[in-house]
Amino acid sequence: MTSVSDNPAPRGRKQVDAWRWGGRIFLVFMIAYTALPMIWMLLTSIKSGFAAMSFPPQWWPSEPTLASYQKLLDPQNSVGQDFLRFFGNSLFVSVCTTILAVVVAVPAAYAFSRFNFPGRRFLFFSVLLRNMFPAVIFLVPLFILMRVLGLVNTHGSLILTYLTFGLPLAIWLLKGFYDNIPIQLEQAARIDGATRFQAFLMIVTPLSVPGIIATAIYSFIGAWNEYIYAATFLTKNEQLTLPVGIQRFFSENTTDFPGLMAASFMMSVPVVVLFLLLQRYFVRALTEGAVKH
Amino acid sequence: MTIVTGHPGAPGKIRAARPGILRQMWMSRADYLYVLPAIVVMLIVIAYPIYYTIDLSFFKTPPGLQLRDKIFIGIDNYTAILTSEVFWRVTLNTVIWTLASTVIAFVLGYGAALALHRDFIGRGVLRAILIIPWVISAVAASYIWKWIYHSDFGIIGAVLVQLGIVDRPPNFIDSVSTVLPSLIVVNIWREFPFAMIMLMAGLQTVPEQLLRAAKVDGASAWQRFWHVTFPYLSGVSTVTILLLAVANFNSFIIPWIMTGGGPSNASHIWITHIYELAFGRQRWGVAAAYSVLLFVILMTLGYFYVRALSGNEKKEGTS
Repeated sequence: MTSVSDNPAPRGRKQVDAWRWGGRIFLVFMIAYTALPMIWMLLTSIKSGFAAMSFPPQWWPSEPTLASYQKLLDPQNSVGQDFLRFFGNSLFVSVCTTILAVVVAVPAAYAFSRFNFPGRRFLFFSVLLRNMFPAVIFLVPLFILMRVLGLVNTHGSLILTYLTFGLPLAIWLLKGFYDNIPIQLEQAARIDGATRFQAFLMIVTPLSVPGIIATAIYSFIGAWNEYIYAATFLTKNEQLTLPVGIQRFFSENTTDFPGLMAASFMMSVPVVVLFLLLQRYFVRALTEGAVKH
Repeated sequence: MTIVTGHPGAPGKIRAARPGILRQMWMSRADYLYVLPAIVVMLIVIAYPIYYTIDLSFFKTPPGLQLRDKIFIGIDNYTAILTSEVFWRVTLNTVIWTLASTVIAFVLGYGAALALHRDFIGRGVLRAILIIPWVISAVAASYIWKWIYHSDFGIIGAVLVQLGIVDRPPNFIDSVSTVLPSLIVVNIWREFPFAMIMLMAGLQTVPEQLLRAAKVDGASAWQRFWHVTFPYLSGVSTVTILLLAVANFNSFIIPWIMTGGGPSNASHIWITHIYELAFGRQRWGVAAAYSVLLFVILMTLGYFYVRALSGNEKKEGTS
């Protein structure tokens, strides 16, 4: 490395090129690693069952067909009915969780950011610690708790549970956001006669919309993809959410791989679309919230 | 609360210097309203289960969730776990799984964040593609990879056969020796984007002048990374590694859906094993004892987690 100072110009140039090429090759590798499994999912989903199970495999489907999708989305046949119902259940649970998470996390994060009450730090970290514990630990006691509350086999049990594992990161992200909003804004509002709550609602909340959107995305994705609690709390077929429902559809030794891939694809569409539309808020919230110096 | 305010005997001097904790709490009573909903939800869903699990771990439990006729057996559940062979097998699996997934996902995510930091055409599209695996459901990911690893029609096996590397498709997830690495590949596929997002966000905070100054002083690309960027991102990196480690330690869906812990426990990690003990074999007491051991480990990790996070908070305070 000392040789750099001997002959800075040419060697530095060469090194930059090497780094840039290394970066490009690495990126190509990562894109292949990321995208090929998803491309294979899509290609399989438009094959017939027979074409999917040929050896050597058909790289490109010789007779592409949308039959698997038609079957899943057709409200006339039983598979389609189930799939659409699971889809609706997932949507309902995820939307409710998202709304509640925002309503609960916003004031909490604001308080952690602004107020200085005894136990503030303790409460903040105990909220964060929730993230540490795996779902399985809470499964049995929560199941019994839900039975006591009469929530077994209701979507309410899922919403309440999902709320708690969305909250820690949501509060943390939002707190970072509020820390960045100058307190003078609220002070000015207070001088103009606003109450503390009004200042929070009218001044600070609109400014933290990107953070709130990030929180909402995070909660939605978490709820949409959750599996263990849904598998435990719900037993009635008509209430299942997609991750569990799909597992019931396709038994352990299924041969309907195009159907399975089509279902996996359909299940991924809402979250991927949502995330791609709103990802800049997410990255921004992380930059401003979590990753500050 | 009136006790505090109306106590005439309390030495006024000390009260003036440092008001009592109850008084402080009373004075900031309105503040608690803001955090109350979060705390209530957390108490219901965290404090009660923890208490319940610890309690249950000292009992022998009949199958079924009619737990009224449980029998107190002291620490027998714990000794049974620590002397069983499966426990050590599963622990080793968990260590390999957590370490390998965390380290590789972090390194790949870091590399991707660096490679995507420079502005070029199509950067947004590449970034979006790289993030997708993190967004899609782990259940979908498990099925996609199960199909890719399929022992008869899996694409990796087919490619290997066609290239003449092997005679017949390998059994990636049906053989004891390859199952854990195969699942780790899937897990990393899903987790590296998280590290990438965190570090991309972190990279935006590295001051451009610092890098330019280093360049003017003749620092090579590697030196600029190692002496400027890397130390600058140490806070983010610590948090990212801890979050990844916790997430990996707590993984469940990928091993559960893809193999169910098999073949012969080769892909069981702690969480899948606890789940199977509780819901498969209905040995609630043993599963609870396992969970308590897990608590202890997680609290140790949690200590570092909180320290890393509060380190960040201190920095926020001074800046």
